[in-house]
Parts: sequence; C-alpha cells; structure tokens
Amino acid sequence: MFKKVLIANRGEIAVRIIKACQEMGVKTVAVFSEADLNSPHVELADESINLGDPTPSESYLNIAKIIKNATSVKAEAIHPGYGFLAENPDFAKACNDSGITFIGPAPEVIRLMGDKIEAKKTIEQANVPVIPGYHGVEQDLSTLLKEGKKIGFPLLVKATAGGGGKGMRIVHEESKLEQSIESAKREAKSAFGNDSIFLEQYIDKPRHIEFQILADKKGHVIHLFERECSIQRRHQKIIEETPSPALTPALREAMGKAAVAAATTVEYTNAGTIEFMVDAKHNFYFMEMNTRLQVEHPITEATTGIDLVKWQLRIASGMDLTLKQADIAQRGHALECRIYAEDPSNGFLPSIGTIEKVEIPIGPNIRNDTGVETRFVVSPYYDPMLAKLTVSSENREESINKMIWALSHYVVLGVTTNIPFLKKVLEHPEFKAGNITTHFINDYFKDWLVTKQGLPLDAIIALAVYDSLHTQRHEVVRYKEADPHSPWQHVGRWRIGV
Amino acid sequence: MFINYEHDNHVYNVTIERRDNQFFITYDNNEYTVTATEVKPGQLVIQLAERVIKSIISQGDDSKFVFIDGNIFKVKRIELTGRKTTGKKEGDLNSPISGTVVKVKVKEGDLLKKDDVLLVIEAMKMEYLIHAPYSGKIKKIYFKEKDQIEIGQLTAEIEKEGD
Repeated sequence: MFKKVLIANRGEIAVRIIKACQEMGVKTVAVFSEADLNSPHVELADESINLGDPTPSESYLNIAKIIKNATSVKAEAIHPGYGFLAENPDFAKACNDSGITFIGPAPEVIRLMGDKIEAKKTIEQANVPVIPGYHGVEQDLSTLLKEGKKIGFPLLVKATAGGGGKGMRIVHEESKLEQSIESAKREAKSAFGNDSIFLEQYIDKPRHIEFQILADKKGHVIHLFERECSIQRRHQKIIEETPSPALTPALREAMGKAAVAAATTVEYTNAGTIEFMVDAKHNFYFMEMNTRLQVEHPITEATTGIDLVKWQLRIASGMDLTLKQADIAQRGHALECRIYAEDPSNGFLPSIGTIEKVEIPIGPNIRNDTGVETRFVVSPYYDPMLAKLTVSSENREESINKMIWALSHYVVLGVTTNIPFLKKVLEHPEFKAGNITTHFINDYFKDWLVTKQGLPLDAIIALAVYDSLHTQRHEVVRYKEADPHSPWQHVGRWRIGV
Repeated sequence: MFINYEHDNHVYNVTIERRDNQFFITYDNNEYTVTATEVKPGQLVIQLAERVIKSIISQGDDSKFVFIDGNIFKVKRIELTGRKTTGKKEGDLNSPISGTVVKVKVKEGDLLKKDDVLLVIEAMKMEYLIHAPYSGKIKKIYFKEKDQIEIGQLTAEIEKEGD
C-alpha cells in the first residue's frame, strides 16, 4: 500500500478520498486554490498545498503544478477524484512518467474511452449492443439515405458538433428522411460551421442505467450492479438509485455480463462505470464508459457494503481484487440526492454567497458527503454542488420516505439550494411508481417554480422572538422608554457588583 | 418593539414585548403569547399554546434566513417611512414598500413644502405616507391611484427650491 497519496481535487470527493486513505493508514496531501483556503478537505488532510489562483486552469487543472508538488512532497500516488483531471489521459501519462501512480486506468484506456465513437466501435466487438447508427465520414446524401434506411425508424439525425438540440431531428418515416437530413445539415452549418451529421436509432422512453466495475491488474473483472440515473436536469444527474425499478433479474444479469465483457475487452483496471441506455422494451445499449469514480458511487456502497475508494487504492497499489462476482449481492435499496447551491426560482442559476449555517439530518442509514461547512463561501469558480445525501432502506418506498424526511431536516442557510425541488420530484406519483425516463424532469417539471406562499405565521413568530432575544442593548433602552408598563420603568438607577 | 419584515415583496408588521422568557406578539390584529428558548445559537424552540414551533435562524449580511418545517425563507428587516433612518441620503423618493397606491395628493407643477404628503401607499392593510424630503415643485409623478408599486421604485421627482 502507498505511504502517501495526493488528492488532486476539492470539495466532497476530496474529503471522501482523504477519509478512506486515513482509515487505511495512508498519509494524505490536499491541494487547494485560494478560493478554497478554509475548505474541509484542506483542514482534514495531513498536508496541504496552495496552488494559488482560483481559476481552474491555474489550480485544479494545472497538470505541471500538481505533478511538481506531488514530487516535492514525495507522494507515491495521485487520486484524481471525478471531474477536473480525472479523465485526462495526458495527466495519467504525466503521473506515470514522473514515477507517480495514477489511481485509475491506463492512459491509453482513458484516451480510447474518451473518443465516444471509437469507444462504441471497440465495445461492439465484445458483442455488447450499441445503438444502431451511422457515424461515418461519408456525408453525401445517398450514403446517408442508404444508412438511414438500414437503421430503421424512428431515427435520430444529429449534428456531430451538436449541442442544445440544434441540428437535431427525429424522423418517424422514410419519406421524411431526405428533407430532415438536409434541414439538419443547414442548421448545423449555421450553428456550428460544420454540417457533418450522424444517424442513430431513436430510443423511446430511454432510461440511463449504469453498471459499476472493479478490475485489477491481472484481468479479474467484476461488476457491482446497477445505478439508475434517469432523473436528470439538463443532462445533469440529480437523483440516483439502486436497484433500478426497471430491471428484471434476467435483464440485470445480462447487463452485468455485458459490462464485464466491455471492461475486459479494453483491459480495464481500477473502478469504472459502463453507461447503458435502456428502452421501453428493455433493450439495452452501450453509451459510454466513465474511466473514474462516479459522483453517485455511495449508493453502490450502501447496497453492496463495499468501499469503492479503498478498492481503488488497493488495486492501484498492485493488490489483487479478492472479491468474486458470486460474493457480491445487492441488499435493500439506496437513493442519492445531489444538493446544489442553485436557485430553482431563478432558472437554477448558481446561488453564490456565504453559508451561514449547515445542520445535517442524522439517523440510521443516512450518509452525507460534503465539502462545505458553516461560513464556507460558495464561489463562482467551481461546480455548485454542496453535498450528496444518500439514504438506504429495505425497499424503494422506505428509501423515498427516508429521503423526504432527511431533506426536510437538511438546513442550509445563506445560499439557496435545490432541496425544495428534490423533494417535489421524490413526491411525484410517477417517480414513486418508478416510471422514470431521462425526459422525466422535462415532462413533469419543465416550468416548475417554487410556490410563493408568503411567510407563514410560525416564521413571523420565530423571527420576532429571535430579534427580541438578539436586540442590542441601546435598542432595549429605547424600548424601555417606549413602554410605560415595563417593570424596568420602576427599577430606577442601579449598578451591578456594588 | 415594532419590526417590519420584508419577504418576497411583502411587508409584515409585528410588535413584540418580552418579559423574561415570555413573549407577547401582535401580528395582523391577533395577539400571541409564547414562551421561547434558544437551545443552540439561532435554534429556537417556541411554545405557542399546545403547539411547539421549531426554527433555525441565521443572520446574513443583509438578510435573515429562517428554516421552519423544511422550508427556508429569506427575510429582510426594514425601516418604513415616517421614521428617521440614518444613512439614507436626502431626497430619496423611492417607495419604501411594495403595495397599492391608494391616494395621490399632489399633481405635476404643484409647489410643496418639505414633509408635505405626496402619496399614500397601502400594504398589508396598513397605509404608508410618502413625504416630500425637501420643498420644491413637482416635476413628475410616476404613479396614479390603484397602481401597484414595488419596493425601491421612484415615486416622483421634485425640482428643488432655488435650483
């Protein structure tokens, strides 16, 4: 095992990794930018290094600076967390070239999986289904028409350089294909300056379901079951759960085998995630592989009892993965909510400011992963996720109720959070019934606003009592003068301690 | 003491008197007698008849945050007109409150003296008077009767005497 590990990240995930290291007797080195000077991850680590300027490119994304510091403090390994440099093959390579172990897969695997089209081609060779489509360079109309007909309908036409729905068409019948391709190309040309498109089978009622993988350096690969991550707002997951209410035991087994096959075929090592799309008819397709620890890993830990970060460290240090597939079981149900400093009544814009108070719900099987505390300043530099709240119970219904309870007792004062929004999603009858797709938020919460209910009487009473208790002395004098019935009127002159 | 709380463009007027840990609160023509304990800084347990109100309050730079029943409210304590407030620059003709203009006492071109009433605004069943901060001639009035007015909006412009 390593003696010292540098954590090239911030916030809750840095805290999570530092704690795992400390439990294993591994010394930790935190890095931070000036905006994170007083962050919990800095206080918790055994050593910490100031990277300076809060701009990510100058701090958490600066490969040269991080490697130089890791070398100077003699860290044997770097854990990249998620985001920032976690899926940057150049960073993984730079670590290896400097004699530092990158806690994750090999740089070549990160690079391969980072190219979404190449990744699909590679994974398809392992007999894992991918969404039928055409991603070729031949862009003439006759090729596209021929490929489109081969895929079948409904069909998705999408700009290669696309984003935000521009240059995207859903084609329901062959007769509309030509006109859709031409208009998508025109739109793509004007929006992105590039009229290259690709074609894919359109997936109706898609669910995002991913499988957790662990693999050691000797080629032993296991999966740790699924996570259902269909509840997304603008492609950002906000609620995740396991087991998925959509999977039958047979489908789960088939997807688990496919995930292991996909990881095996690219000689994957360490922790990783295979993302699938599942349609209404229970067909599943490989989407992409995330070559790192996922944000939502705690729900897998809650239902399998396995600490993924500790296994990442063990595998990276060359130890064998001693867990066998047959030993892994799902127990109960777990749910995670991502708590963001963002204002649901203001277009979900990040809510910047000082956190005046944090009180977290405490109870059996409630886990709070956080990188903030009272007096923490939410800055505009980084992702506004404050915490991840994970609960687990015997079944889905109990988990939902537990989560609603926990969110109702989660106090964050000073910045606005998405907690009211999360609660509304959990309370929605279609969510409770498990009828969720990646369109769920768009279908049911598109123009959702916080109900303006005014100040309730209880809040007014509490405020008045608070202000009465916290009134400054000179204001009390004013009040005394104003109230002829006050007993203080009759006290007269007096001094303490005479 | 009298307190005005502003939340979401509404103003709530409260009076509170304290005797030991008993509080007498008047709000919206009702009186409430409560006992209260601050169990931890900002954390209140309030007994109102048979009911217990639990709340957590923190003071931000210019607002208070109130956590109650799983909901969070951002509230500002504000001073209303008629009261001398320090730090307010002379000639402020902005509305101190959101509400409805119920009376416009002057018209454009009128000459008026300092402290003459310009407008009456009704909010939360109470009337607030907008006074002339200095003597002069009414140059422009931005509201008519029954108009909705928001906190901070400019009510009128007065050309100062001798200008």
